[in-house]
Amino acid sequence: MHSFSIVTLGIFIAGYTTARWDLVTRLYELAIFAWDHGVVTRAAKGFVILSIFFFLFILPIERIAAQETFLHPRTAGAEEHYVDMVMNNGLMRIFWPSDAPTGPHPGVMVGWRNSELDVFVVAVLQGVELRNVENALRVGTLYRHSPHPISHIFERCGHTSLQVLGSVNPQSPPERFNPALLVTYTNASSRFPRLYCPYDSNMTVQVILFDRPHPTRMQYLSLSPISLALGDKLENVGKWDPAFEGIEVEEAEERERKKKLVEKLRLHTVVMHPPSQKELSLPKIIDQVNCSFEIDAVIQKNVGLIGTRLRRALSVSERVVESANDLWDYVLLGLWYIGTVWVYPVIAKLFVLGLIAHRVAGEMILRVLDWRISPDAAALKDVSATAQQVDIRLQQFCYWPIQYLTLRKRKGNWESITNSHPEYIRFYNSLWLVANDVIIGIALGSYIIENSVFVASQVDKIFNTWSIEGLRRMISWLMEWPGGLKLNTELAEFLGDLFLWVIDHWAGCMATLRPFLPGIIHFIGFSSFAGATMPISLFSDLVSLLTLHIYSFYIASARIFNWQLTIIISLFHLFRGKKRNVLRNRIDSCDYDLDQLLLGTILFTLLFFLLPTVCVFYLTFASARMAIISLKAALDTMLACLNHFPLFALMLRIKDSRRLPGGIRFDLQDTRSARLPEQSHSAPTSYIILKSIPLPLRAMFNEYFELGNRLRKHYLSPGVFLCLVTGRFVPPIHRKNLYSLQYSMLPARRAGIFELWTKLTEQGPGPTGGASTMNGYGGMTGKKANNGLPRRGHVGHTKNWGVRGKDGFLGIQT
Amino acid sequence: MQIFARITSPATQSLTTYRPTPSTISFTVSTRPVPRTLPARLLFYLSILVRIILGILALALLWAKWRITFPIEGDISKGVRAELTTWVLGSSAGQAATRISTRLQWRLLIPGALGVLWGVCRRGYTEESLLVLSGLGIQTSTSSPTYLSTATTRFIPTTSIQDIFIHEAFKGFEVRFYLAIVVQGEEDVVVVFPNLLPRRRILEEVWRGARACLHELQPKSKF
Repeated sequence: MHSFSIVTLGIFIAGYTTARWDLVTRLYELAIFAWDHGVVTRAAKGFVILSIFFFLFILPIERIAAQETFLHPRTAGAEEHYVDMVMNNGLMRIFWPSDAPTGPHPGVMVGWRNSELDVFVVAVLQGVELRNVENALRVGTLYRHSPHPISHIFERCGHTSLQVLGSVNPQSPPERFNPALLVTYTNASSRFPRLYCPYDSNMTVQVILFDRPHPTRMQYLSLSPISLALGDKLENVGKWDPAFEGIEVEEAEERERKKKLVEKLRLHTVVMHPPSQKELSLPKIIDQVNCSFEIDAVIQKNVGLIGTRLRRALSVSERVVESANDLWDYVLLGLWYIGTVWVYPVIAKLFVLGLIAHRVAGEMILRVLDWRISPDAAALKDVSATAQQVDIRLQQFCYWPIQYLTLRKRKGNWESITNSHPEYIRFYNSLWLVANDVIIGIALGSYIIENSVFVASQVDKIFNTWSIEGLRRMISWLMEWPGGLKLNTELAEFLGDLFLWVIDHWAGCMATLRPFLPGIIHFIGFSSFAGATMPISLFSDLVSLLTLHIYSFYIASARIFNWQLTIIISLFHLFRGKKRNVLRNRIDSCDYDLDQLLLGTILFTLLFFLLPTVCVFYLTFASARMAIISLKAALDTMLACLNHFPLFALMLRIKDSRRLPGGIRFDLQDTRSARLPEQSHSAPTSYIILKSIPLPLRAMFNEYFELGNRLRKHYLSPGVFLCLVTGRFVPPIHRKNLYSLQYSMLPARRAGIFELWTKLTEQGPGPTGGASTMNGYGGMTGKKANNGLPRRGHVGHTKNWGVRGKDGFLGIQT
Repeated sequence: MQIFARITSPATQSLTTYRPTPSTISFTVSTRPVPRTLPARLLFYLSILVRIILGILALALLWAKWRITFPIEGDISKGVRAELTTWVLGSSAGQAATRISTRLQWRLLIPGALGVLWGVCRRGYTEESLLVLSGLGIQTSTSSPTYLSTATTRFIPTTSIQDIFIHEAFKGFEVRFYLAIVVQGEEDVVVVFPNLLPRRRILEEVWRGARACLHELQPKSKF
């Protein structure tokens, strides 16, 4: 105590006692009175008794209680109980980035705490104090210069802010294991960290090492395989197809049966485990892995700001100097301003108008192609391959602006937040396929145009020899006992003459068409500048047109054959003395009269002997029809390959397979052989590596497998064979079923014109004009002003000062 | 007779359990023979050596045939490529390769070489494993038939695992036990060790281990 204050105190006490002398004397009298009446001795006695009681009873009881608490800790309070339960079978899980520094330098772990014993390390900051990092996280210093609002990415990760998880390689070893503040040791010889967790804490530890996916390279992790097709189509295959319905019904029944089995399995499950917090957080952790690269980048950029005082606001003189430095930048800015405000919007507007005009024209053509006389009738695109091809191309053109806008939106936010990676792959796949198509088409088209006369003569010759002359020769051969088979001469001649007559007529028609053929070929050649798919689809349509007579022959002969077969079957029943009961759908016995039986048997014999003749003709035309169908199927396969081949995805798979995730896998590291940190006197630890599986090729070509399956189900089913044998009409597979493959990358409902217009106009001034300005300006101010505030649109001079002032204000506040 | 029986009998399956912590277990069923005695070990290394030599021989024959059919045009004596070619083909082994490849036709050489390469790359054994990570899920994996591709794995998160059980099924003319995982929302169960289908004794061990490890917070539930 200071001597001066001692003197003051002394003077004060002396003055007080002299002023209040009567109080002092009264206190003295009270003391004398108490001594006389034995108050002091009684108080001393009480003190002694209380002390003896304390030493004899209270102290032993306290010792016993402490001992009991130590031996049976569960009895001591609710919170203690919980911690103990976790301790006994606790599993500590740490996700650790593989690019974290491994040296012996001290650092601070920053990341997410998903639950008490489940932490995710985003970054390891070196050369900073733990307390400063905590402070910086609370204030937000570490999130400065983030390109986009940091809260978006935090929301994605399921937390509001980053947390300090613990320290790496601390100077002083920790006293005990504390899950709230972990301690890890890293070693340059191993990629894995060693968690400080003594053996007697009864914990087990999982250290999971992950490679950060690079969001700017569009790498990401995903629990489920990436889907290359747009999954917005309803599964209504077989709706248009009577032959398909039976198969569909069977499949539905099978699915129903399986569903029942699954339900039964669910009922049989004995123990149902409620999912724990750690198990539920797996999808969130995958998101955190995906976001960790960008968060780490932001934090590492700001590590230098930790612990240092923030800059004060610029003084007036400094501002003057800075603005003078900025002068040249402002000139550039002015030029940029003129460019963006006057030139760019006009061009953009014109472009948007052009797009809309194109969209309107496309919409009209699409409507024409999709027009049906009645709801059940076939539209033009269901009949013709060319119409279908035009339809696909136009729909792609309609979808591209929407896709592009979706992809542009990606730029306005963090790279790792977006869900549009499959969209990106689809967009560039279709662009690339169209480009490929056009390149192949130009090669093909130039060949066809240069040799149009030769190609036309070849086409004419082939069609003549196969579909007219060949068929004529075949029919003539059938008319005169083919292969020694004695057919009924009269019927064979009748049928043959009939077909020959039609063929002659058709040949006449073809002869009148022949002069136009080089023109048609020329047209096909020119059309191929729109892509190789156009000549292929046109050729496919040409084949169907030029073989129309074979189709009609097939239908006619199939009809005759079918009639004859059904008549023979019913007459056979009569021959046996039976009859078909339509009401009960069975065969009944029947008493026929003699004349009925006689006539029926004669007719049966007649028809039976005529059957081979009809059958031979039917077989000829049916096989011709099948050949044409297979030719068209081959052409359609070529179309499908040109329109839908997953070329871009295949290239990505080779170039960077992490862009096509097909799930995740965990690799358990063998502690006996791998180079892992030593773990003596430490809790049992397993070291696991989290990896991404690339999408398997089977999944990439899934659509093709589905198409093959559908074709097989349609054409190789017993029903179809029965149809062929009995002469019933084999329904061709509906184009819509066949081509769902080609529409799998297009949305089920295309966006309307007005929708496109609103999207284009609302986006027009935003990311197109504004984003470039923002980027240009952001780059300039970024190096001088340290404001982490988001900048949007044109920031004028005054606004700029305002922002800077705000920055200064922020600095003072913190 | 004994040799015949050894060839025709199915390969012996061995179960390896690796359990670094109570919360992480990996079960591996493999038909890979583990060489224990010295001759077996020598034979093992010898087979690897033979494989490598055969593979190099097939590639060398193909390359020699290619060079003989399409010799390098232009400046023959210049260029590193040409020098390398002359050096390799000039050596005694190269001369032998040249002699063999000139005698063999393309149509014999290509399928033969491809067949040898295919045989060299064959793994010759199957290894299937089940990795149980408590708090994360279960991962099944099956090794690929060749050395060229990696194992196919499937990870099932714990939240979507409904049940694990052992059941029996007909396979051909025999009845086999199998360990299956029921995944929520899927029609088909996932069969663990689908190719090897080990014996019931192994399956029971795996089943007990997996059940005990998968759900960490209920260590005392009755199963």
